Amino acid sequence: MATGTYNIFVLVKQVPDQGSKAGLNPDGTIDRAKAKRMLNPFDRYALQAALFTKRAYGGTVTAISMGPPPATEVLLEALEHGVDFGYLLCDKRLAASDTLATAYALYKTILHIGKPDVIFCGLQTTDGDTAQVGPQLAERLDLPQITYCEDFAIVDGKVEARRIIEGGIQKVITELPVLVTVANSYHALEYKSFRGAWRVRQLVRNPEEMKKYIRTLDLDVIGADPERCGLKGSPTIVAATEKVGDIGGNCCIFEGNSPESLVKDLMATSNVKEYVTALERP
Amino acid sequence: MSEEVAVTNFCPKGDVLVLAEVASGELQPVSLELLGAGRILADKMGRSLFCLVLGHNLGSIPPKLIEYGADVVYVADDPELAQYRTLPHRRVVCDFLESLPEPPHTTLLGSTTTGRDLAPRIAAHFDTGLTADCTELDIGPYEHKSKADPSKLGLYPNCLYAIRPSFGESLKARILGPWKNPQMATARPGVMIPLKPDSSRTGKIINVSVNLEDKDYRLVVAKTLREVSKGFKLTEADVIISGGYGLGSAEGFELLRKLAACFPNSAIGASRKVVDLGWIPYQHQVGQTGKTVRPKLYIACGISGAIQHRVGMSKSGMIIAINKDPDAPIFKFANYGIVGDLYQVIPEMIKEFQAIVKIEEGEPVGSAR
Ligand SMILES: Cc1cc2nc3c(=O)[nH]c(=O)nc-3n(C[C@H](O)[C@H](O)[C@H](O)COP(=O)(O)OP(=O)(O)OC[C@H]3O[C@@H](n4cnc5c(N)ncnc54)[C@H](O)[C@@H]3O)c2cc1C
Ligand SMILES: Nc1ncnc2c1ncn2[C@@H]1O[C@H](COP(=O)(O)O)[C@@H](O)[C@H]1O
Repeated sequence: MATGTYNIFVLVKQVPDQGSKAGLNPDGTIDRAKAKRMLNPFDRYALQAALFTKRAYGGTVTAISMGPPPATEVLLEALEHGVDFGYLLCDKRLAASDTLATAYALYKTILHIGKPDVIFCGLQTTDGDTAQVGPQLAERLDLPQITYCEDFAIVDGKVEARRIIEGGIQKVITELPVLVTVANSYHALEYKSFRGAWRVRQLVRNPEEMKKYIRTLDLDVIGADPERCGLKGSPTIVAATEKVGDIGGNCCIFEGNSPESLVKDLMATSNVKEYVTALERP
Repeated sequence: MSEEVAVTNFCPKGDVLVLAEVASGELQPVSLELLGAGRILADKMGRSLFCLVLGHNLGSIPPKLIEYGADVVYVADDPELAQYRTLPHRRVVCDFLESLPEPPHTTLLGSTTTGRDLAPRIAAHFDTGLTADCTELDIGPYEHKSKADPSKLGLYPNCLYAIRPSFGESLKARILGPWKNPQMATARPGVMIPLKPDSSRTGKIINVSVNLEDKDYRLVVAKTLREVSKGFKLTEADVIISGGYGLGSAEGFELLRKLAACFPNSAIGASRKVVDLGWIPYQHQVGQTGKTVRPKLYIACGISGAIQHRVGMSKSGMIIAINKDPDAPIFKFANYGIVGDLYQVIPEMIKEFQAIVKIEEGEPVGSAR
């Protein structure tokens, strides 16, 4: 197959950085305005799969994100890694979308942008954490899907992939177009390319030029029904949250000394010693 | 809370449906767990519990589903369903749901790689809500007061409470969607409790038709490699010493075996990464796609603590983690952590643990200690 033919889409989301303490409320919820932002870590694998597919078989990679204006940052980051174009779907009416509403909006976005041969999604997001958007999108687009994919190749125009299943792996063959959710056992995202980083620097200085590569869309442009987006289009709501006591920050950590004294310290913790001693006496 | 308020809006009818999962011809344990949970939900509402099972040559599986709580088992038996593939399975499930006079109130699947592959497609097809990876399920009333979307206002007597961890498990969220049936959820394997099987239970077994379309064959499974564990009982050990990629090589497990030898009823566990690398056989794998274990003591050596690993071991009595990266996620949920190189830490641990054993063995009868 001639190069330059595959139309590759990759879906990336900006998420709060849970590693940093900024914007983390005492009750464990996230203040999105204050929180540091980052590219969803799982989407890095999707990005790598998209870029690898382009490099191996030719084509263009388009990154798509839905989110508030700062989400442009993840599109720029994608460009630095070598993505060709970015689209941000940004509209106040999208606020409080659950996965169904998100998948609907992304579906309309994809229809608006073009006809992909392959759509790569991350496995899940660290804030939504559902792994649902990919398959829901595949359903709307009436595409076959490969979830938990950890190896992806195109051989004679057909997709050959390996995916994770309970207790093992599975090799599947399918046709294009296809939607793929990429597992975190796929290759890690490579460093930003020098060319990509340089290009983004140029674009940031030149807003007119930038518009050619990063476009912002709203619901009217993509022809989405606002009733099916945001709060209105979401069949589920989060009715209550509750802090879980024993998880997070309660680990008693021994660090900084020689291994010998670390282990001695651990054993000296009465709890551990008693516990282990009790184990020994059935 | 008074629950005697006039019922407004939509009062969800329908029964509870569990989608059973069969892999390599075997009923997956999560299906029995879902029936246990589903039975409670159905009884709370005074509804029936249905189960739909897809596969080929299902033999004793449908009656077993009745023993475990189903009132009616719908069976789709077809050679094309012998192995799970998204499109044929989704077709049969969607056709089945459409053939019902009214949609089920609740539809449950396991949050296995299969359930998580299938459930979102069905939810999208019916434009209904789906909550992933629940750890608790319940039925209860809900009053929606927020005026942000007036069409949702009202009191809903029987809602599915889908409760799941969120924000890296530090919060529990209760997610509801009483506005549309079926209310869907996937539940984590190993969390819900199956009923005691009762062979005197009676129920109906009904065949459902399978009508696939050409486009359902777009994906072909070329090969499935699944290791079946036999004989080795990871789940019954009191102490599990688990190794991850931090071991650096398969030989690293030798050191872990020495540590394990300090304890009478111990076993070796592993992360998926090292199983995939072939350092140790699959039956040692702990996590979402491996075993769920609950030993009294779990020592994680060179394991980062990815969520898929954690769901398989977080209920251990005590978790001790050894990792050289102080920021490793495992330190967020272990009880004790040692930051250091496992090759330096473990030999010291072996000394200490052996000392405990020695003291006991050498303890003279009648000693004052
Ligand atoms: C669908 C799906 C299902 C999965 N199912 C499972 C599952 O069932 N079980 C499972 O475990 N995983 C599962 N995974 C994989 C999981 O996401 C992680 O990739 C995996 O658990 C990582 O294994 P690890 O911790 O051994 O390796 P890594 O994440 O690479 O961690 C290695 C750790 O070792 C530490 N280390 C390195 N050298 C040393 C040293 N000398 N001393 C001490 N520490 C050291 C490092 O700091 C690091 O934290 C699944 C993934 C997917 C997508
Ligand atoms: N707002 C969004 N914008 C772009 N992609 C998204 C968005 N939400 C989810 N996705 C994609 O869907 C995947 C699964 O997300 P989730 O279902 O939220 O766990 C992510 O890894 C992304 O690839």
